[in-house]
Amino acid sequence: MSLIDEDQELVAAAINGSANAWEKLVKRYEGKIYNQGLRLMGNSSDAMDLTQEVFLGLYRNLHRFRGDAKFSTWIFRIAHNKAIDLSRRNRFLPSRTQIEMQEEIDALEAVHGASSFEPEKAIGELQQNNQIARILGKLSIEQRLVVELKVFQSLTFEEIAIMQDVSANTVKTRFYAALKKLKAVSEEYYALP
Amino acid sequence: MPCPKTEYLIQEYFADDLAPVAREEIEVHFNSCEYCSNELEVLLRSQSDLSQWQDQQVPHWDRGMELFRREHSVINEGRGFWSGWQWISTAVSLAMLAVLLLNVNVVSNEEGFSISFDALGAQNAYLDARMLAFEQGQKEAMDALVQRIEDSQEGNNIELLQVVMEQAQQTTIENLEVIYAYFERQRLQDLEDMRVGYQELVDNDFATIRSLQQIAQFISYQGEIR
Ligand SMILES: [Zn+2]
Repeated sequence: MSLIDEDQELVAAAINGSANAWEKLVKRYEGKIYNQGLRLMGNSSDAMDLTQEVFLGLYRNLHRFRGDAKFSTWIFRIAHNKAIDLSRRNRFLPSRTQIEMQEEIDALEAVHGASSFEPEKAIGELQQNNQIARILGKLSIEQRLVVELKVFQSLTFEEIAIMQDVSANTVKTRFYAALKKLKAVSEEYYALP
Repeated sequence: MPCPKTEYLIQEYFADDLAPVAREEIEVHFNSCEYCSNELEVLLRSQSDLSQWQDQQVPHWDRGMELFRREHSVINEGRGFWSGWQWISTAVSLAMLAVLLLNVNVVSNEEGFSISFDALGAQNAYLDARMLAFEQGQKEAMDALVQRIEDSQEGNNIELLQVVMEQAQQTTIENLEVIYAYFERQRLQDLEDMRVGYQELVDNDFATIRSLQQIAQFISYQGEIR
């Protein structure tokens, strides 16, 4: 059975009250949504807020899901709209990325023992991710979403255009502007002493 | 020197649905135009920097399971914790309380039923005592339930602490996940204990109410023979 069919079966079972099916469905997508949240929101607590809101929205609208669209497209659309809501709500709040990064590194260092766990590797990955999130944070939410959908979700310009309710040309322009901005921001970063 | 076609060509270059012929044309231009090829190279590097992202593990959360179970328990079990049953006893209690407090007499005679509110003297003392006992019983049952929940919480915490101590020797992300899962299971178990306890309390209420009903019948019987 294909992943798409499995998604549909899980949705149907969850609608009929199977907690097991619901949990499977959440497990299948929570990682993607959470990491998308980290890239879009720039810190783990907002990413977790996004994840919870996406799945709550999904739960409330589960009965509206029709088999004609891919479930993954549907859930990413919910995530897309929630990310816009959330970033508008947070617009006047200071970015938490910097503080959180240090906190997370501290937590990782506290956790590491004489084990197979490789704290240096984990910290390295975390720093790299934080660097990416910080650079993405310089983009407008619209640009960030185009980058997210194009680079990380591998959607076509046409698909993004439908999701954002704009023309494909607008999406292309946004993507180009976003890449140029990313280039400028990373140059600025590496130019720093 | 800058090229007027850069923006348009690069935008098209990143489109996945570009016709092969058009792509070929663009590449021919890029090969001959230094400005465009430099620009493309830099932007492709920006894009590939992004794909260095390493997926991070989702922190532990309840996955909406509590909400899901709560909202589906009525359908699944027919008689879930929040279904209507428990309120019947409360309604009966209230009705009985009214009967007792107002000293209502339901007297049946040849003219049919008659309801009176006069005090019944001797029976009042007996009823007061029964009411007191009823209240006392309620309080004791509730205290016992609360105590039991607290005890089990304490037991869990000690057990949890032991698990954490053991796991701390070899702490990895997976182990933390296991601890979380364990804790979540305990929490659900506590909820279930609470539900069972409450159900028992409700059942006790039924027993008490049945005996109160017998008293009421007794009173009305007394009224009748008087
Ligand atoms: Zn050119």
